[in-house]
Order: sequence, then structure tokens, then C-alpha cells
Amino acid sequence: MLNGKTRQYNRGIRYHVIHRPESKMRQPAKLFREMWQDLLGCRGLAWQLMKRDIYAQYRQSLLGLVWAIIPPIVAAAGFTFAANSKVLNIGETELPYAAYVMFSMALWQTFVESITMPMQQVTKAKQMLAKISFPREALILSGIGQVLFNFGCKLLLIVGMFLWFQIPVTASVFLAPVALIHLIVLGAAIGTFLAPLGALYNDVSKLVPLVMNALVFFTPVVYPVPSGEGAFGTIVRLNPITPLLVTTRELATTGGVSQPVEFWLASILGFIGLLLAWLIYKLAIPYTVERLSS
Amino acid sequence: MVSAFQKKSASGYSSTEQPQQEDVVLSVNGVSKKFCRDLKKSLMYGVQDIASELFGVRGSENDNLRKKEFWALQDVSFELRRGEALGLIGKNGSGKSTLLRVIAGLIKPDKGTVEVIGRVAPLIALGAGFNPVLTGRENIYANMSILGLAKEEIDDRFDEVVEFAEIGEAIDSPVQTYSSGMAARLGFSCAIHTEPDILLIDEVLAVGDINFKQKCFRRLHELIQKGTSFILVSHNSQSILNVCRNSLYLIKGNFIEIGETRKVLTKYEEQLFNLDRKLSHAFSGAAEYAEKKESESLGLDILSVEFRDSEGERLQSVVSGEEARLYLRCKLTREIENINISLIFKEVLGQNDLVLHISSYNDRVSLALPKGVHSLQVVLPYVCLRPGIYNLDVTVKEDSMYDMDKVPSFMFKVVGKESMNRCLFYQPRHWLSTVEECRK
Repeated sequence: MLNGKTRQYNRGIRYHVIHRPESKMRQPAKLFREMWQDLLGCRGLAWQLMKRDIYAQYRQSLLGLVWAIIPPIVAAAGFTFAANSKVLNIGETELPYAAYVMFSMALWQTFVESITMPMQQVTKAKQMLAKISFPREALILSGIGQVLFNFGCKLLLIVGMFLWFQIPVTASVFLAPVALIHLIVLGAAIGTFLAPLGALYNDVSKLVPLVMNALVFFTPVVYPVPSGEGAFGTIVRLNPITPLLVTTRELATTGGVSQPVEFWLASILGFIGLLLAWLIYKLAIPYTVERLSS
Repeated sequence: MVSAFQKKSASGYSSTEQPQQEDVVLSVNGVSKKFCRDLKKSLMYGVQDIASELFGVRGSENDNLRKKEFWALQDVSFELRRGEALGLIGKNGSGKSTLLRVIAGLIKPDKGTVEVIGRVAPLIALGAGFNPVLTGRENIYANMSILGLAKEEIDDRFDEVVEFAEIGEAIDSPVQTYSSGMAARLGFSCAIHTEPDILLIDEVLAVGDINFKQKCFRRLHELIQKGTSFILVSHNSQSILNVCRNSLYLIKGNFIEIGETRKVLTKYEEQLFNLDRKLSHAFSGAAEYAEKKESESLGLDILSVEFRDSEGERLQSVVSGEEARLYLRCKLTREIENINISLIFKEVLGQNDLVLHISSYNDRVSLALPKGVHSLQVVLPYVCLRPGIYNLDVTVKEDSMYDMDKVPSFMFKVVGKESMNRCLFYQPRHWLSTVEECRK
């Protein structure tokens, strides 16, 4: 066998590798070390991929970045119209209703994007995955970067909206991004978990929009937080997305946090979920790759 | 003064290219890999494999073949040293690309291990990661990042890459406006400048026009001098002969042989030109025919057909490039004045195409023979047929039209001494040089 020499390179990716058939879970310490090294080493690549995707997306479009802010505006317009014509019986919201819907929709859509982005990235990169060995985490990081970029565009809309409706903000608005990060982390956890499966079976990428379209009604996006009684109220309260979304909204506007316990529980769920999803992703990708065409 | 080219030693390489005996950079041990032919089952097996990986169930001996699975690679082992170029030879579907992908770490083996020291760059697809909407310049950064370089390293090499690719001003146009040749050149240029330790080349050895191809080969040569190791897959035997000292031969995923490229290539070509192994065993090199009754004979009966060499020894297979004699033993029942032989050679590979038609009538020679048993010989000083299996139709006529007897199909095999993969026929030749002007 080889004499175990390793060469020193400053690219941060390991250069003495043994490819074995058995499960990597049998040597967990080595596996975790590999995962950590890959994550550190792929930052440059993730940045290049992100730049590439963002430029390509907006180069071929006339409206460009405007597309990021249109969906929340459309949703807000539709729901406000329906509420004002008394078709929908929605309670009192702490913000003017149009602003409430726009802001919540922007957050909701960011959440949905963070679920679909990993799957899209993996599916789009099928050619690359099958033919070049690069740290696969780069795709996920690049995807999360794009979600943040898209939110950045939506932020312009939100700031404009705050100014228009003269909504007061408190100092806690600077904590709002933290809560937003937690929200994205939960989405990314689900997305990363689904990504390898999604590249194999296209049922997954069809199912996700269906489920999310249903879930939007079980999250206080277009209506205020219900009191928690009755079946519907219970479901909304148990939904982990609820506290994350609500807390972000509250921190940015009213300043008080009405569901601290639920918020932290959901955050922990999100972070642990992301770590687990990362592990599953790392282990599953080679099997996905070999079943893809080359 | 005319001097002949010097005959090289068996290794075929000049003394400046000794193999580095030190580091082994790649060690493949007993690698096996199975695939599934059925798409739906394949995806299901993928899910099963993922589950067994996650729960730590998957072991090192994944022997059982599930339904519709087959072994794409079976028990392949070899070592690669620093600065060594290894050719991978085999028919389509013999597992060459799969082996490269296992070495590159893209797929996991089912049995066996692969140990790699150094950076591996698979040249399996050029321009993977190219986004058509972006310009060539932007894509260079994306592509070389994917191949493993940091931004500073790309900055250092950027100008060289652009110059090597010979794209000119189009470097600032979107890649979707490039011709396929330009895109391939750009991809190749990016890949070749990543300076890996091990380069896996899957049939994309050199793209573009002649000048560019030569540039690619020169650069690959420089890389070999610097100590880069190669594994080269190509159907172009000449490229493999030029670049690789040793080669590995795979049939249907099985490891057959590893050794000097020339030897392995000859074996490969023999297999390639053989359609059916059973058929080739039936070639004894001779055929005998029953004597006809006197009443049925038209004057001449062919008793046997065989090939012999210049010494009169029976030939099992005819050797391309050497002398062979076709012996026709005939029995004449009467004296015949104007005997003509017509030989039609058809190659079995393909559609039984006619490759050669010679007749003594066309050559204006004929035979006059008395009654009795005679042995007619056709002497071929150099057999120019390329290796393969041929059908020979022999017709012996009186004058030019009266058929006396014929052998409708005599099958025989031609084997070759050297690589004739890119020849349609054998050309005898000598290599010489003459001094025109002597400079001190």
C-alpha cells in the first residue's frame, strides 16, 4: 500500500484519500472532520457559484431585480382587496393590513425559497456533480447565499413600505435579522434533507409547492395570530414556522416577543435539523450521482 | 548517404523518459461496481443504498446482485506512479468511464478500495459548470473554481488560459454564442491549467484543429515531464501508443491484462476484429471437399483449399504483412488448356463487403495441365489484408466463362503483427534518410 505521505497544499481540501465501499457512518469522527474541512474549503467556490447564478439570472431579464419584490406586492394587493370588500373575515392586525400582508408574505416567500433552493441547485448541477469532484456543500451554501440576496431585494420593498405607512420601529429591529436567520435555517434544513431525493424522483419538487401552498394558510401570514383555541388555532400554534415568522415580524415592528419559548424551540429544531440534513446530504449525494445519467 | 531509422528497444521510449520508481500516487485494489439497467429499479436501489449508508449498515463486501443489476467493474487492481501515463483500453461498455469515476471519487465502489495521493482532475467533460448566458471570462472563474482553484490562483493563470484557448475577442461574449469547438477549447484550456497531480482523460484528449491539437499534446507532454500522472481513455490507438507506456485492458468490467501498450493493443485489436469466439475456433486453415463422381465432374474438381507459409507449412491463420500461399489441390479428369482461377475475398465484419478480387484471367496468365492430381498455388508475397475474418470464394474456370468447380465460402482468419487499428490494408514500407547538406 502507499506509505501514507501527504502533500501540503493551501487549498484547504484534503489530498490523501481512500475511497472505500463501506458506510462512512462507521467512522464518525473522520466523517465529521471531513465535513468540517469541506465546509471551510468550499467558501470560495460557493461565492463563485453564487455570483455566476445571480448574474446569469438577471442578465437575461428586462425587469431584473424587480422580480424579487413583485410576489409580495401582488399577494398584498389581492388579500387587501378581499378583506376590504368583506369577503374574508380577518381580525385586527397590529400593522395596517396591506403592510402586514406584504411583510409577512416577503418572509414566507423567503422561507419557501430556502426550502426549494437546495433542491434546485442540486438538480441544476447534475452535469457538474456527475463529472467533477468538488465539495458538494458549495451548492447548498451558494443556494443560501442566493436566498439572502433575494431577501436583500425584498428589504428595499419593506423599507419603502415602512416609510409609506409611517410604521414606527423600536431598537429591537436590529434583532430581527437574527430571527430571520433562524427562519432560513429551518427552511434550509428541510431543503437540504430533500435535495438528494429530489434529484432522483421529480415527485419531490412537485410536492413541495403543493404542501407550501397549503401550509401558508396554517401560518399567520395573511391573518393575525389566533388565540390557540379550537382545532385550527392548535395547528397554527404547533406549526414550527409560526413562532419564527411571528417573532421576526414583531421584532421589526412592535418590539415585544409574544412567543419566546416556542421561538427557541423552533430555532433549536431548525439548527439540529440543519446539521442532520447536512450529514444526510453528504452521505447520500454519491448514491444520487451514480444513478444520474452521465 | 542513406541511413535507416534505428530500431528502438522493446520498451519503445527514449532514455530521457524513465519511469519514476518512487511514489505511487494511485493504488486501486480489487474494485468492483454494480449498476442497474432498469431506471425505476435503479432509483429504488439508490434509495436503499442511501438508507443503508445512513444507518451504517453498508459494509465492504456488497456481493449480491439485486434484480436487473450487473457488474460494470469486477475486481480491478493496479498502481499508478508519479509521472506515469496509463492507457485504458476496451470496447464501449467495458467499464472504462466507470473506473475513472470511481478513482475520481464521484461514485463509491461496491468492493475494494482506491487510495489516492494528490489532486485528481477528471477531464471527463469540458466546460461543465459553464453558464451559457455569461461571458467566457466570467465562466473561466466559475469553471476553474469548480476544478478546485482559489481565486488568487485563477488570477495568476487567467491570462495564460485565455491565450491558450485562442478564442480572441469572443472571450467577452456569452458562451452561448460560441461554436462547440470554441467552447471545448475554452474548457480544455481551463482544465489543463489546473495543474493536477493525476489527470483522468476520458476521450477528450485533444479538440480543435490540427494546430490546437498539437498544442494540447505538447502541453500534456510538459505535464508528464513535470511529474503529472495520467490515465487516458481513448479509442484512438495511436494517441495511446504515443502517450502511454503501459495500458490496462478491460472486457465487460473484468481486468484482463496490464502491460506494455503495444502488446495490450494488439490483443485488443484481435478481439475487436473477432466477431464470435466460437467462429474463430472453427478455423483450421484448411478445408477438404469430397471427390465428385466421374459423371458429375466438369473436368476439374477442387479437393482441398489451404493456406501455407513460404516454407510450405500449413498456416492456421494468415499473417498480415507476410507471405502466404493459397494451395488448391485439384483433380483433373481430362487435359485442360486454359485454366483460370478467380478469388473473391470478402470481409466478414460489417456486411460481408468485397475487399479484393483477383483472377489469373485479369492478370493474363493461365495454366495448361494434363489429367491427374495437381496442386495449384497462388503466391501472395505480402498479404495486405488487415486483421479480421474473411470469406474466400474460389472459382476455377476453363477460359473465362466455363465454371468447372467452385468453393463457395472458405472462411479464414488474418492476424496482425502490429497495430493496424487505423489501416484499411497493410502497406509494406522501409524508413530511410539521406544526407542533403551536412552542417557542423
